[in-house]
Amino acid sequence: MPKKIDVALAQMDCRVGDKKHNIEVMKRNAKEAREKGADLVVFPELSLTGYLTRDLTYELAETIPGPSVTSLEKIARSEKLHMIFGMLEHSDKARAIIYNTAVLLGPEGLIGKYRKMQLPTHSVFEEKRYFRQGYQLPVFETDIGKIGLTICYDIFFPEIFRLLKLQGAELIVCISASPAVRRKFFEIFTAARAMENTVFLAYTNLVGLEDGLQFWGGSRVVTPSGHIIVQAKYDEEDLVTGEVDYGDLQRIETFVPTLRDLRPEFFDLLKNRTENL
Amino acid sequence: MRLKSAVLRLELSSVETRIKRFIKDYVRKCGTSGVVLNVSGGVDSCTTAAISCLALGGRKVLGLFLPEEETYNAVDARHAKAVAEKFGFKLETVDISSALKACFETLPTYAEEDRVSRGNLKARMRMAFLYYYANRLKRIVCGSSDKSETMIGYFTKWGDVAADISPIMDLYKTQVRQLALNIGIPPEIAEKPSTPRLWPGHMAEEELGIEYEKLDLILFGLERFMSSEEIAGQLDLPLKRVEEIKRRWLSTEHKRRTPLTPKLGYRTAGADFRIPYATQ
Repeated sequence: MPKKIDVALAQMDCRVGDKKHNIEVMKRNAKEAREKGADLVVFPELSLTGYLTRDLTYELAETIPGPSVTSLEKIARSEKLHMIFGMLEHSDKARAIIYNTAVLLGPEGLIGKYRKMQLPTHSVFEEKRYFRQGYQLPVFETDIGKIGLTICYDIFFPEIFRLLKLQGAELIVCISASPAVRRKFFEIFTAARAMENTVFLAYTNLVGLEDGLQFWGGSRVVTPSGHIIVQAKYDEEDLVTGEVDYGDLQRIETFVPTLRDLRPEFFDLLKNRTENL
Repeated sequence: MRLKSAVLRLELSSVETRIKRFIKDYVRKCGTSGVVLNVSGGVDSCTTAAISCLALGGRKVLGLFLPEEETYNAVDARHAKAVAEKFGFKLETVDISSALKACFETLPTYAEEDRVSRGNLKARMRMAFLYYYANRLKRIVCGSSDKSETMIGYFTKWGDVAADISPIMDLYKTQVRQLALNIGIPPEIAEKPSTPRLWPGHMAEEELGIEYEKLDLILFGLERFMSSEEIAGQLDLPLKRVEEIKRRWLSTEHKRRTPLTPKLGYRTAGADFRIPYATQ
């Protein structure tokens, strides 16, 4: 287990529906990230297709593994790099069951995936119209640390991050397609989720415009004490890298022992109250 | 939440940047050579023309001043010209009086005294001229409707609102005035009373019976799901007045959407055909 890793955040302006183009951009970013010494490069939510694919969702979705994952595995292999990206995944059991999924690849190929749990369906968001929610919340033990994956709106739900921490996550990655009107929420939540769980948090957001929605970028790596190690530009494509030093974890967990002080009885209360809203 | 003018205050640099980026991005994705827009000399169209120039450069912006003899106003003409000169876009003047006259003479049911139908035809004639130019020049039409007028349906259906993009449609009139001043529109234009000029002496606030400062706060309250009672109470207005505005908003949805059709097919335009706007 390495004590330190370098994490690259590749803030992309995706072409909606153009997987070939988006893979080319990811390839270019992966190469540049590797040249900068990165061990992991993180792309935004649905970076393979763009975010607002609407009815094109059905024809753009693929299985995992599938053709696009195979193309991206080749890139991870040739760059000797871990990669996290977002894609439309359709179930191998039913073509119309589609998930908003984050995929984790390593130099040896596919490591795992996470299907978005919290699907925003309000305001301009219509994810429940297209996606089935995920039910699994895995933490992946990799050569670059114990990694938990989340997607965008998940960050509004601290229990998801707490569950990842309880499974030993050291680095939680949040891939996102957050429009500018939500920037304040994410700037605060990225720090809050990292601090309350004493984990490193890597957040990568889209940039560019899709159907009038402007994604704000501002990707960042946050330490367990809330310090922003590195932050990408607002609104423009960017690639930044930051060092994650897992050696800091024990020191900060000692300073703010939130895990030690967890009160299990609160969770029963939460469950009961939530069921009776 | 208190309904005071402060709630309508914009983060101007951020709004300006986002609107410019929106225009630039859409023009690029459409592969067009620029925008055509109606520059009437009012605050909305002058601001939209100016911000289009800031986004695209003046050479990609063509303004059309489309007067007609009944409502021609020399001050508006001067204002349109001043903004064109300041922001560096070409302004062409095309008098639509003869085209209108031909329409009036051709229409079997034409009625001189029906000023609304007559006025709406003027707005639709301008739309036809704009789209002719856009077709000829392979450009898109940039609209300059604001949020106040859009919400209460204070526009001509398929007329002044007809456009490919509407960069300031999410800004209330009083917010457009803030943006106008911020990007350098002269105060005499930014602050002048609004007029659709569908007939002589046609003034917006007079016809609506309310000042934009009040109207925008009512609409802001409705946007934020406030009740009519709460809005009326906070703004010290008769409940009936707020209800009238709310009714105007709700009853004009047909002007803001694609035409309604009975659901017959598997997927239907305007209902559940959901395709991304500009795929490349």
